[in-house]
Amino acid sequence: MKIVCVTACTVGIAHTYIAQEKLENAGKKAGHEIHIETQGTIGIENELTQQQIDEADIVILAADVSVSGRERFNGKTIIQVGTEVAVKSPNKLIKKAEEIVNQKK
Amino acid sequence: MMSAIKKLNLKGHLLTAISYLIPIVCGAGFLIAIGMAFGGSNQAELVSGEFSFWDALATMGGAGLGLLPVVISTGISYSILKKPGIAPGFITGLTANAIGAGFIGGILGGYIAGFLGLAVMKYVKVPKWAKGLMPTLIIPFLTSILSGLIMVYIIGAPIGAFTNALTGFLNNLGTSSLLIFGGIVGLLSGIDFGGPINKTVFAFVLTMQAEGVNEPITALQLVNTATPIGFGLAYYFAKMFGKNIYTRTETEALKSAVPMGVVNIVEGVIPIVMNDIVRCIVAVAIGGAAGGAVSMLLGADATVPFGGVLMLPTMTRPWTGAMAILVNAVVTGLTLALLKKDVAEASAEAEEEIEEEDIDLDDIQIVHGN
Repeated sequence: MKIVCVTACTVGIAHTYIAQEKLENAGKKAGHEIHIETQGTIGIENELTQQQIDEADIVILAADVSVSGRERFNGKTIIQVGTEVAVKSPNKLIKKAEEIVNQKK
Repeated sequence: MMSAIKKLNLKGHLLTAISYLIPIVCGAGFLIAIGMAFGGSNQAELVSGEFSFWDALATMGGAGLGLLPVVISTGISYSILKKPGIAPGFITGLTANAIGAGFIGGILGGYIAGFLGLAVMKYVKVPKWAKGLMPTLIIPFLTSILSGLIMVYIIGAPIGAFTNALTGFLNNLGTSSLLIFGGIVGLLSGIDFGGPINKTVFAFVLTMQAEGVNEPITALQLVNTATPIGFGLAYYFAKMFGKNIYTRTETEALKSAVPMGVVNIVEGVIPIVMNDIVRCIVAVAIGGAAGGAVSMLLGADATVPFGGVLMLPTMTRPWTGAMAILVNAVVTGLTLALLKKDVAEASAEAEEEIEEEDIDLDDIQIVHGN
Protein backbone atom coordinates (compact mmCIF):
# COMPACT_ATOMS: atom_id res chain seq x y z
CA MET A 1 0.00 0.00 0.00
CA LYS A 2 0.97 3.64 -0.27
CA ILE A 3 1.72 5.73 2.79
CA VAL A 4 2.48 9.42 3.18
CA CYS A 5 3.87 10.82 6.43
CA VAL A 6 4.76 14.14 7.98
CA THR A 7 7.21 14.30 10.90
CA ALA A 8 7.69 17.38 13.09
CA CYS A 9 9.08 17.84 16.60
CA THR A 10 9.40 20.77 18.98
CA VAL A 11 12.97 21.87 18.45
CA GLY A 12 12.89 20.57 14.90
CA ILE A 13 16.40 19.22 14.60
CA ALA A 14 16.47 15.70 15.97
CA HIS A 15 13.24 13.80 16.61
CA THR A 16 11.83 14.98 13.29
CA TYR A 17 14.57 13.23 11.38
CA ILE A 18 14.91 10.19 13.61
CA ALA A 19 11.17 9.58 13.19
CA GLN A 20 11.52 10.03 9.44
CA GLU A 21 14.32 7.48 9.21
CA LYS A 22 12.55 4.94 11.41
CA LEU A 23 9.28 5.20 9.50
CA GLU A 24 11.05 5.03 6.18
CA ASN A 25 12.89 1.84 7.17
CA ALA A 26 9.82 0.25 8.73
CA GLY A 27 7.65 1.12 5.74
CA LYS A 28 10.11 -0.22 3.19
CA LYS A 29 10.70 -3.34 5.24
CA ALA A 30 6.99 -4.09 5.18
CA GLY A 31 7.00 -3.57 1.42
CA HIS A 32 5.05 -0.34 1.21
CA GLU A 33 5.63 2.73 -0.88
CA ILE A 34 6.28 5.48 1.64
CA HIS A 35 6.90 9.21 1.28
CA ILE A 36 7.86 11.33 4.26
CA GLU A 37 7.86 15.08 4.56
CA THR A 38 9.92 16.62 7.38
CA GLN A 39 8.92 19.90 9.00
CA GLY A 40 11.99 20.90 11.00
CA THR A 41 13.28 24.25 12.13
CA ILE A 42 14.94 24.58 8.74
CA GLY A 43 11.52 24.46 7.08
CA ILE A 44 9.70 21.86 5.01
CA GLU A 45 11.86 19.34 3.23
CA ASN A 46 10.89 16.59 0.86
CA GLU A 47 7.45 18.18 0.47
CA LEU A 48 4.67 15.78 -0.46
CA THR A 49 3.18 16.31 -3.87
CA GLN A 50 -0.57 16.46 -4.35
CA GLN A 51 -0.35 13.31 -6.41
CA GLN A 52 1.41 11.40 -3.64
CA ILE A 53 -1.27 12.52 -1.18
CA ASP A 54 -4.12 11.63 -3.53
CA GLU A 55 -2.76 8.16 -4.17
CA ALA A 56 -1.96 7.39 -0.54
CA ASP A 57 -4.07 4.79 1.29
CA ILE A 58 -3.27 6.36 4.63
CA VAL A 59 -1.61 9.39 6.16
CA ILE A 60 0.63 9.15 9.24
CA LEU A 61 1.33 12.38 11.07
CA ALA A 62 4.12 11.87 13.63
CA ALA A 63 4.24 15.30 15.18
CA ASP A 64 4.52 17.00 18.59
CA VAL A 65 3.60 20.38 17.11
CA SER A 66 0.93 21.57 14.67
CA VAL A 67 1.51 20.25 11.18
CA SER A 68 1.72 22.97 8.53
CA GLY A 69 -0.64 22.48 5.62
CA ARG A 70 -2.79 19.94 7.42
CA GLU A 71 -5.72 20.83 5.18
CA ARG A 72 -3.93 18.98 2.38
CA PHE A 73 -5.04 15.75 4.06
CA ASN A 74 -8.72 16.61 4.46
CA GLY A 75 -10.85 13.59 3.69
CA LYS A 76 -7.99 11.12 4.02
CA THR A 77 -7.65 8.54 6.75
CA ILE A 78 -5.11 9.96 9.17
CA ILE A 79 -3.19 8.40 12.04
CA GLN A 80 -1.92 11.09 14.35
CA VAL A 81 0.80 10.28 16.90
CA GLY A 82 3.66 12.01 18.68
CA THR A 83 7.15 11.57 17.26
CA GLU A 84 7.89 9.45 20.32
CA VAL A 85 5.69 6.62 19.01
CA ALA A 86 7.33 6.65 15.58
CA VAL A 87 10.79 6.62 17.13
CA LYS A 88 10.08 3.84 19.60
CA SER A 89 7.71 1.58 17.70
CA PRO A 90 7.90 2.29 13.96
CA ASN A 91 7.13 -1.26 12.84
CA LYS A 92 4.08 -1.54 15.08
CA LEU A 93 2.89 1.82 13.85
CA ILE A 94 3.09 0.66 10.25
CA LYS A 95 1.30 -2.54 11.21
CA LYS A 96 -1.46 -0.48 12.83
CA ALA A 97 -1.75 1.49 9.61
CA GLU A 98 -2.14 -1.76 7.67
CA GLU A 99 -4.93 -2.88 10.02
CA ILE A 100 -6.81 0.36 9.58
CA VAL A 101 -6.53 0.29 5.82
CA ASN A 102 -7.65 -3.33 5.69
CA GLN A 103 -10.67 -2.67 7.90
CA LYS A 104 -11.82 -0.05 5.46
CA LYS A 105 -11.83 -2.37 2.50
CA MET B 1 -13.47 15.71 31.17
CA MET B 2 -9.98 14.43 30.47
CA SER B 3 -10.80 13.84 26.83
CA ALA B 4 -12.24 17.35 26.54
CA ILE B 5 -8.99 18.76 27.88
CA LYS B 6 -7.04 16.53 25.58
CA LYS B 7 -9.04 17.80 22.66
CA LEU B 8 -7.98 21.36 23.42
CA ASN B 9 -4.43 20.19 22.78
CA LEU B 10 -2.98 22.73 25.22
CA LYS B 11 0.42 21.08 25.23
CA GLY B 12 0.61 20.81 21.45
CA HIS B 13 -0.07 24.52 21.03
CA LEU B 14 2.54 25.42 23.63
CA LEU B 15 5.14 23.19 22.00
CA THR B 16 4.37 24.67 18.59
CA ALA B 17 4.91 28.15 19.99
CA ILE B 18 8.13 27.06 21.71
CA SER B 19 9.39 25.72 18.40
CA TYR B 20 9.02 29.24 16.97
CA LEU B 21 10.55 30.75 20.08
CA ILE B 22 13.77 28.76 20.32
CA PRO B 23 15.57 30.21 17.28
CA ILE B 24 14.71 33.72 18.50
CA VAL B 25 16.05 33.06 22.00
CA CYS B 26 19.20 31.48 20.57
CA GLY B 27 19.87 34.35 18.17
CA ALA B 28 19.10 37.07 20.68
CA GLY B 29 20.84 35.21 23.52
CA PHE B 30 24.10 34.98 21.62
CA LEU B 31 23.89 38.66 20.60
CA ILE B 32 23.42 39.87 24.16
CA ALA B 33 26.06 37.47 25.50
CA ILE B 34 28.72 38.60 23.02
CA GLY B 35 27.85 42.27 23.46
CA MET B 36 27.99 42.10 27.23
CA ALA B 37 31.15 39.97 27.26
CA PHE B 38 32.94 42.83 25.50
CA GLY B 39 31.65 45.48 27.86
CA GLY B 40 28.49 46.52 26.04
CA SER B 41 25.22 47.09 27.84
CA ASN B 42 21.60 46.60 26.89
CA GLN B 43 20.17 50.08 26.36
CA ALA B 44 16.59 51.21 26.14
CA GLU B 45 17.43 53.50 23.26
CA LEU B 46 20.43 53.72 20.93
CA VAL B 47 21.20 57.44 20.81
CA SER B 48 23.23 58.28 17.73
CA GLY B 49 26.93 58.72 18.51
CA GLU B 50 26.61 57.62 22.12
CA PHE B 51 26.92 53.87 21.90
CA SER B 52 29.67 51.40 21.09
CA PHE B 53 29.53 48.45 18.71
CA TRP B 54 29.14 46.13 21.71
CA ASP B 55 26.30 48.23 23.10
CA ALA B 56 24.60 47.75 19.75
CA LEU B 57 24.95 43.96 19.92
CA ALA B 58 23.75 43.80 23.53
CA THR B 59 20.79 46.02 22.71
CA MET B 60 19.82 43.91 19.70
CA GLY B 61 19.84 40.82 21.92
CA GLY B 62 18.01 42.57 24.75
CA ALA B 63 15.32 43.78 22.36
CA GLY B 64 14.74 40.23 21.16
CA LEU B 65 14.66 38.69 24.63
CA GLY B 66 12.37 41.44 25.93
CA LEU B 67 9.70 40.45 23.43
CA LEU B 68 9.56 36.76 24.34
CA PRO B 69 6.10 37.09 25.97
CA VAL B 70 4.88 38.49 22.66
CA VAL B 71 6.48 35.69 20.66
CA ILE B 72 5.02 32.93 22.83
CA SER B 73 1.58 34.55 22.85
CA THR B 74 1.52 35.03 19.08
CA GLY B 75 2.83 31.50 18.56
CA ILE B 76 0.15 29.86 20.71
CA SER B 77 -2.62 31.92 19.20
CA TYR B 78 -1.34 31.15 15.70
CA SER B 79 -1.19 27.45 16.50
CA ILE B 80 -4.83 27.50 17.64
CA LEU B 81 -6.31 29.79 15.01
CA LYS B 82 -3.76 29.83 12.17
CA LYS B 83 -3.39 33.17 10.36
CA PRO B 84 -6.26 35.08 12.01
CA GLY B 85 -4.65 34.24 15.37
CA ILE B 86 -1.54 36.31 14.76
CA ALA B 87 -3.08 39.74 15.38
CA PRO B 88 -4.89 39.04 18.65
CA GLY B 89 -1.98 36.93 19.95
CA PHE B 90 0.45 39.72 19.16
CA ILE B 91 -1.62 42.44 20.81
CA THR B 92 -2.37 40.32 23.87
CA GLY B 93 1.32 39.46 24.23
CA LEU B 94 2.30 43.12 24.09
CA THR B 95 -0.38 43.81 26.68
CA ALA B 96 1.06 41.09 28.91
CA ASN B 97 4.42 42.83 28.64
CA ALA B 98 2.92 46.23 29.38
CA ILE B 99 1.21 45.09 32.56
CA GLY B 100 4.23 43.14 33.75
CA ALA B 101 2.64 39.70 33.43
CA GLY B 102 5.76 38.49 31.63
CA PHE B 103 6.23 35.14 29.98
CA ILE B 104 3.58 33.29 31.96
CA GLY B 105 1.19 36.09 31.03
CA GLY B 106 2.22 35.64 27.42
CA ILE B 107 1.45 31.91 27.54
CA LEU B 108 -2.00 32.41 29.09
CA GLY B 109 -2.69 35.38 26.83
CA GLY B 110 -1.93 33.27 23.78
CA TYR B 111 -4.44 30.61 24.84
CA ILE B 112 -7.08 33.21 25.65
CA ALA B 113 -6.61 35.05 22.37
CA GLY B 114 -6.61 31.84 20.36
CA PHE B 115 -9.67 30.26 21.92
CA LEU B 116 -11.63 33.53 22.03
CA GLY B 117 -10.80 33.96 18.35
CA LEU B 118 -12.16 30.48 17.68
CA ALA B 119 -15.36 31.43 19.49
CA VAL B 120 -15.67 34.68 17.53
CA MET B 121 -15.18 32.77 14.30
CA LYS B 122 -17.86 30.29 15.28
CA TYR B 123 -20.52 32.48 16.89
CA VAL B 124 -20.28 35.87 15.26
CA LYS B 125 -22.31 35.69 12.09
CA VAL B 126 -22.00 38.40 9.50
CA PRO B 127 -23.98 39.05 6.30
CA LYS B 128 -22.39 37.88 3.11
CA TRP B 129 -21.18 41.33 2.01
CA ALA B 130 -19.19 41.63 5.25
CA LYS B 131 -17.38 38.29 4.92
CA GLY B 132 -14.19 40.08 3.98
CA LEU B 133 -14.32 42.08 7.20
CA MET B 134 -14.20 38.92 9.31
CA PRO B 135 -10.47 38.17 9.13
CA THR B 136 -9.32 41.75 8.61
CA LEU B 137 -11.39 43.59 11.20
CA ILE B 138 -13.89 41.62 13.23
CA ILE B 139 -11.70 38.78 14.53
CA PRO B 140 -8.64 40.95 15.24
CA PHE B 141 -10.65 43.71 16.90
CA LEU B 142 -13.19 41.72 18.90
CA THR B 143 -10.70 39.11 20.03
CA SER B 144 -8.01 41.62 20.93
CA ILE B 145 -10.30 43.86 22.91
CA LEU B 146 -11.65 40.90 24.89
CA SER B 147 -8.38 39.11 25.54
CA GLY B 148 -6.50 42.38 26.05
CA LEU B 149 -8.97 43.60 28.66
CA ILE B 150 -8.91 40.24 30.41
CA MET B 151 -5.14 40.58 30.56
CA VAL B 152 -5.23 44.14 31.87
CA TYR B 153 -8.04 43.93 34.41
CA ILE B 154 -8.25 40.31 35.48
CA ILE B 155 -5.21 38.09 35.12
CA GLY B 156 -2.32 40.50 34.50
CA ALA B 157 -1.61 41.72 38.00
CA PRO B 158 -1.92 38.35 39.81
CA ILE B 159 0.30 36.67 37.23
CA GLY B 160 2.87 39.43 37.56
CA ALA B 161 2.89 39.01 41.34
CA PHE B 162 3.15 35.24 41.02
CA THR B 163 6.03 35.49 38.54
CA ASN B 164 7.90 37.89 40.80
CA ALA B 165 7.43 35.61 43.76
CA LEU B 166 8.66 32.62 41.78
CA THR B 167 11.76 34.32 40.37
CA GLY B 168 12.51 35.83 43.78
CA PHE B 169 12.23 32.40 45.33
CA LEU B 170 14.55 30.82 42.76
CA ASN B 171 17.06 33.65 43.08
CA ASN B 172 17.25 33.22 46.82
CA LEU B 173 17.60 29.47 47.12
CA GLY B 174 20.17 28.38 49.70
CA THR B 175 22.99 25.95 48.99
CA SER B 176 21.14 22.78 49.88
CA SER B 177 17.99 23.85 48.05
CA LEU B 178 20.12 24.66 44.99
CA LEU B 179 21.57 21.17 45.12
CA ILE B 180 18.14 19.59 45.39
CA PHE B 181 16.53 21.77 42.74
CA GLY B 182 19.40 21.21 40.31
CA GLY B 183 19.35 17.52 41.04
CA ILE B 184 15.65 17.28 40.29
CA VAL B 185 15.89 19.26 37.07
CA GLY B 186 18.83 17.11 35.97
CA LEU B 187 17.14 13.86 36.89
CA LEU B 188 13.85 14.69 35.19
CA SER B 189 15.49 16.00 32.04
CA GLY B 190 17.75 13.00 31.73
CA ILE B 191 15.38 10.12 32.11
CA ASP B 192 13.37 10.35 28.91
CA PHE B 193 15.99 11.59 26.46
CA GLY B 194 14.28 14.59 24.99
CA GLY B 195 10.81 13.07 25.37
CA PRO B 196 7.65 14.45 27.01
CA ILE B 197 8.98 14.77 30.59
CA ASN B 198 12.04 16.57 29.33
CA LYS B 199 9.89 18.91 27.24
CA THR B 200 7.60 19.69 30.17
CA VAL B 201 10.55 20.56 32.38
CA PHE B 202 11.93 22.51 29.44
CA ALA B 203 8.78 24.64 29.16
CA PHE B 204 9.09 25.46 32.85
CA VAL B 205 12.77 26.37 32.85
CA LEU B 206 12.38 28.30 29.61
CA THR B 207 9.73 30.36 31.36
CA MET B 208 12.25 31.03 34.11
CA GLN B 209 14.83 32.11 31.56
CA ALA B 210 12.39 34.49 29.92
CA GLU B 211 12.04 36.02 33.38
CA GLY B 212 15.79 36.46 33.62
CA VAL B 213 16.66 33.39 35.71
CA ASN B 214 19.14 31.52 33.54
CA GLU B 215 20.41 28.81 35.87
CA PRO B 216 17.62 26.19 35.67
CA ILE B 217 17.63 25.98 31.88
CA THR B 218 21.40 25.85 31.87
CA ALA B 219 21.28 22.89 34.23
CA LEU B 220 18.78 21.10 32.00
CA GLN B 221 20.68 21.61 28.76
CA LEU B 222 24.04 20.75 30.28
CA VAL B 223 22.55 17.44 31.36
CA ASN B 224 21.31 16.83 27.83
CA THR B 225 24.77 17.68 26.56
CA ALA B 226 26.64 15.54 29.06
CA THR B 227 24.49 12.42 28.77
CA PRO B 228 25.73 11.28 25.32
CA ILE B 229 29.29 12.24 26.27
CA GLY B 230 28.85 10.02 29.33
CA PHE B 231 27.80 7.14 27.07
CA GLY B 232 31.00 7.68 25.11
CA LEU B 233 33.17 7.79 28.25
CA ALA B 234 31.53 4.60 29.48
CA TYR B 235 33.10 2.77 26.55
CA TYR B 236 36.59 3.62 27.84
CA PHE B 237 35.76 3.17 31.53
CA ALA B 238 34.40 -0.29 30.76
CA LYS B 239 37.55 -1.16 28.83
CA MET B 240 39.53 -0.27 31.96
CA PHE B 241 37.46 -2.77 33.91
CA GLY B 242 38.10 -5.29 31.14
CA LYS B 243 34.48 -5.19 29.98
CA ASN B 244 32.82 -4.71 26.63
CA ILE B 245 29.50 -3.02 27.27
CA TYR B 246 28.48 -2.07 23.74
CA THR B 247 27.75 -4.24 20.73
CA ARG B 248 29.36 -3.32 17.44
CA THR B 249 26.23 -1.56 16.17
CA GLU B 250 26.02 0.39 19.39
CA THR B 251 29.63 1.49 19.11
CA GLU B 252 28.85 2.69 15.60
CA ALA B 253 25.82 4.61 16.90
CA LEU B 254 28.04 6.25 19.52
CA LYS B 255 30.26 7.75 16.85
CA SER B 256 27.44 10.05 15.82
CA ALA B 257 25.67 10.23 19.19
CA VAL B 258 28.63 11.78 21.03
CA PRO B 259 29.25 14.68 18.60
CA MET B 260 25.48 15.27 18.50
CA GLY B 261 25.53 15.42 22.29
CA VAL B 262 28.29 18.02 22.26
CA VAL B 263 25.87 20.36 20.49
CA ASN B 264 22.97 19.52 22.79
CA ILE B 265 21.15 16.76 20.91
CA VAL B 266 20.57 13.96 23.36
CA GLU B 267 18.44 11.78 21.11
CA GLY B 268 21.37 10.07 19.42
CA VAL B 269 21.74 7.64 22.30
CA ILE B 270 18.12 6.47 22.15
CA PRO B 271 18.91 3.37 20.05
CA ILE B 272 21.48 2.30 22.67
CA VAL B 273 19.13 3.01 25.56
CA MET B 274 16.36 0.98 23.93
CA ASN B 275 18.50 -2.15 24.08
CA ASP B 276 19.00 -1.92 27.82
CA ILE B 277 16.44 0.53 29.12
CA VAL B 278 16.59 0.12 32.90
CA ARG B 279 20.35 0.22 33.36
CA CYS B 280 20.79 3.11 30.98
CA ILE B 281 18.06 5.20 32.58
CA VAL B 282 19.45 4.58 36.06
CA ALA B 283 22.90 5.72 34.92
CA VAL B 284 21.51 8.77 33.16
CA ALA B 285 19.34 9.74 36.13
CA ILE B 286 22.22 9.50 38.61
CA GLY B 287 24.57 11.40 36.30
CA GLY B 288 21.91 13.98 35.47
CA ALA B 289 21.12 14.61 39.11
CA ALA B 290 24.83 15.10 39.82
CA GLY B 291 25.37 17.36 36.81
CA GLY B 292 22.24 19.42 37.47
CA ALA B 293 23.18 19.88 41.12
CA VAL B 294 26.74 20.99 40.26
CA SER B 295 25.43 23.34 37.57
CA MET B 296 22.96 25.04 39.93
CA LEU B 297 25.38 25.15 42.85
CA LEU B 298 28.19 26.79 40.86
CA GLY B 299 25.67 29.08 39.18
CA ALA B 300 26.22 28.22 35.52
CA ASP B 301 24.05 30.80 33.74
CA ALA B 302 23.95 30.58 29.95
CA THR B 303 21.87 33.25 28.26
CA VAL B 304 20.92 30.91 25.43
CA PRO B 305 18.60 27.93 25.95
CA PHE B 306 20.30 25.60 23.49
CA GLY B 307 23.68 24.77 22.01
CA GLY B 308 25.58 22.32 24.25
CA VAL B 309 29.21 23.40 24.63
CA LEU B 310 28.37 26.49 22.55
CA MET B 311 26.45 27.69 25.60
CA LEU B 312 29.66 27.88 27.64
CA PRO B 313 30.95 31.22 26.24
CA THR B 314 27.63 32.90 27.08
CA MET B 315 28.05 32.16 30.80
CA THR B 316 29.42 34.65 33.30
CA ARG B 317 31.94 31.99 34.31
CA PRO B 318 32.23 29.37 31.56
CA TRP B 319 34.24 26.98 33.75
CA THR B 320 31.13 26.39 35.88
CA GLY B 321 29.31 24.88 32.92
CA ALA B 322 32.35 22.87 31.85
CA MET B 323 32.58 21.50 35.37
CA ALA B 324 28.91 20.46 35.38
CA ILE B 325 29.30 18.65 32.05
CA LEU B 326 32.45 16.93 33.26
CA VAL B 327 30.92 15.72 36.52
CA ASN B 328 27.74 14.60 34.80
CA ALA B 329 29.53 12.73 31.99
CA VAL B 330 31.96 11.01 34.34
CA VAL B 331 29.21 9.92 36.74
CA THR B 332 26.98 8.65 33.93
CA GLY B 333 29.95 6.95 32.28
CA LEU B 334 31.14 5.22 35.43
CA THR B 335 27.65 4.08 36.40
CA LEU B 336 27.06 2.67 32.93
CA ALA B 337 30.41 0.92 32.92
CA LEU B 338 29.61 -0.68 36.27
CA LEU B 339 25.96 -1.55 35.63
CA LYS B 340 25.98 -2.76 32.05
CA LYS B 341 26.68 -6.40 31.37
CA ASP B 342 29.58 -7.64 29.32
CA VAL B 343 28.37 -8.35 25.80
CA ALA B 344 29.81 -11.30 23.96
CA GLU B 345 31.11 -10.44 20.51
CA ALA B 346 28.81 -13.07 19.02
CA SER B 347 25.65 -11.28 20.05
CA ALA B 348 26.80 -8.19 18.26
CA GLU B 349 24.73 -8.97 15.18
CA ALA B 350 21.74 -10.56 16.85
CA GLU B 351 20.02 -7.43 18.02
CA GLU B 352 18.23 -6.22 14.93
CA GLU B 353 15.04 -7.92 16.01
CA ILE B 354 14.59 -6.24 19.37
CA GLU B 355 11.06 -6.17 20.63
CA GLU B 356 9.43 -2.81 20.14
CA GLU B 357 7.35 -1.18 22.81
CA ASP B 358 3.63 -1.64 22.37
CA ILE B 359 1.80 1.40 21.17
CA ASP B 360 -0.42 2.88 23.84
CA LEU B 361 -3.80 3.44 22.23
CA ASP B 362 -4.12 6.72 24.13
CA ASP B 363 -1.16 8.04 22.18
CA ILE B 364 -2.77 7.49 18.85
CA GLN B 365 -5.56 9.38 17.22
CA ILE B 366 -7.28 8.22 14.10
CA VAL B 367 -9.31 10.30 11.70
CA HIS B 368 -11.29 8.23 9.24
CA GLY B 369 -11.45 9.50 5.71
CA ASN B 370 -14.21 9.22 3.17
